[in-house]
Amino acid sequence: MNAEFIIGFGLIILGTVATAWPSPKDYITRLINLELPAFGILLVMLSFDETIALLTFIAVTAISTFLFVRVIEKKEGIP
Amino acid sequence: MIDTFHTGMIAASLCIIIAFFSFLKETDDLHRLLLTDLASVMALFLIALVGTDLAEALILPGLVVTISKLMALAEIYLVKEGLQKNSPSRILDIEVLQSAPAILASILVIYGIILSGFSGGAVAGLGVIFYLVCKGHQERFELIETVSGYAWVAWIAAFFIILIFPSQWFLAVMIAGGAILIKVTAKLSLIGTMRGESDV
Repeated sequence: MNAEFIIGFGLIILGTVATAWPSPKDYITRLINLELPAFGILLVMLSFDETIALLTFIAVTAISTFLFVRVIEKKEGIP
Repeated sequence: MIDTFHTGMIAASLCIIIAFFSFLKETDDLHRLLLTDLASVMALFLIALVGTDLAEALILPGLVVTISKLMALAEIYLVKEGLQKNSPSRILDIEVLQSAPAILASILVIYGIILSGFSGGAVAGLGVIFYLVCKGHQERFELIETVSGYAWVAWIAAFFIILIFPSQWFLAVMIAGGAILIKVTAKLSLIGTMRGESDV
């Protein structure tokens, strides 16, 4: 059990709580809080030497953030 | 003595319970969509805890399924709420997005070609998405689809080479890696055309 695993592990727990109950409960806050468990899982993957999974996860996270921003933009930006 | 795997399992089950309760309380559909991403992170955490090559081999299809599921659910949500034609009143205007895309996209594409295979395709596709999102696009779907079709043929041909002439396995692996790179790049670059226009 090394340092990356412990930090990632804490980030996942804290991030899950932060995402489950965001403080001002709107979409953007929840989307930003979602980055916390994502970063935690990156650290966990780093501690287990899962390089390809880590790189692909970064790419997929970028696309999913883009998707969510597009949906939120359409939902909130009513002309 | 508690080892890494069991600590991780306890944390994962705790997180899954938390995510489940917040799912139960939630009534807004877009909030539920965001929580779906949280649930997929939990699933990936469980798989990553195995910590061997098996985990890596299981995470890659998990990620692909996650992103395709999110794309489908987002489209369904937009259709259900009738928001599809709804364009925002003011598009984000950031100066970096005007000047940076050419350099950043070329760096990402070159790095993706060096990586090759599925991950390389994903990275190169991100570069193309970034370029298309920032610079806008014309209708070039036919070209992308044609390239994607040829890549598919090359991938199948590589499999036949590996089955019929097993001594040429290196050539077949190289062809398959290149073809899947082009195919994933072409598919991902279609995402870049989603923003702005109301046709998708």
